[in-house]
Amino acid sequence: MTESTPRSSAASTTTTTTSTVRTPTTTVSSPARLADETAQGKTTIAASVVQKIAGIAAREISGVHSMGGGVSRAFGALRERIPGGGAGATNIAGVQVEVGEKQAAIDLDIVVEYGASIVELARAVRRNVITAVERMTGLEVIEVNIAVNDIHLPELEAAEDIPVPVTSRVE
Amino acid sequence: MSAPGPLPATVEERDALAERVSAAVLAVPGVAGPHGGRYNDIATFRAGGRLVGVRIGEGAEPVEVGVVLRLDRPIPDVVADVRDAASRLCGGAAVDITVGDVVGDAVDDLLGHPAGDAPGSGGAATGADPGRMVR
Repeated sequence: MTESTPRSSAASTTTTTTSTVRTPTTTVSSPARLADETAQGKTTIAASVVQKIAGIAAREISGVHSMGGGVSRAFGALRERIPGGGAGATNIAGVQVEVGEKQAAIDLDIVVEYGASIVELARAVRRNVITAVERMTGLEVIEVNIAVNDIHLPELEAAEDIPVPVTSRVE
Repeated sequence: MSAPGPLPATVEERDALAERVSAAVLAVPGVAGPHGGRYNDIATFRAGGRLVGVRIGEGAEPVEVGVVLRLDRPIPDVVADVRDAASRLCGGAAVDITVGDVVGDAVDDLLGHPAGDAPGSGGAATGADPGRMVR
């Protein structure tokens, strides 16, 4: 379940926040304890909750075409065959999270639309994901690693459907 | 009868309390339903069947509540309300709360399938999703 290691392919553009060093173990389905552990009781937020909030926040940014990459897709397909790997924690394509007691670290694999500045887009995605997860869960987001795995070209899609009319240059 | 708090000693009382706690928790705004926790162990075994989402501990054990939340309010706010509602019924006992899942239109969009699907099908949906989106 260490899918964070082969994250970036040769063609991918990876932007990364420099933050605290962490172990590469992905605890996708492990629950997290919130900071407000008091005599009144503990609060546990499942990792899948953080995953979903992060996925929604990333997709909210226009210019993000879809989520997921080759590697995460393969692991996602594999994980659903493992007992307990997919039942409680629904795996959102392209979103891996690591949730601690007070903090969360998030890895995103995204496919961008052609025409968007990838640096600006990654910045906007990161900002939105941090805001959403921190506001919704109360966890501190220590880092959001974004791997841009592909770029989506709308022209290619159109070219498949519509045969391009050949306009002659000469009359 | 050695329980320090007012938590009930008999099974019948505990079952009845679990039902009251369950009703109160599900009435909190932002709570979409009960959740059994990661191992489906947050439940009360009663004569009438299993009540998922509430477990009244014995003795010094805490009260455990598992919920599925809607994403229309920040989770800490909802959790605080759930804890208030449950703790009040249990005489101020500690209440451990597990947020097992979240639901909502945005989650459905993300998963690419409508609400009401079995949770187990989520993996299949996410497995199919990138194939559809990524070319």
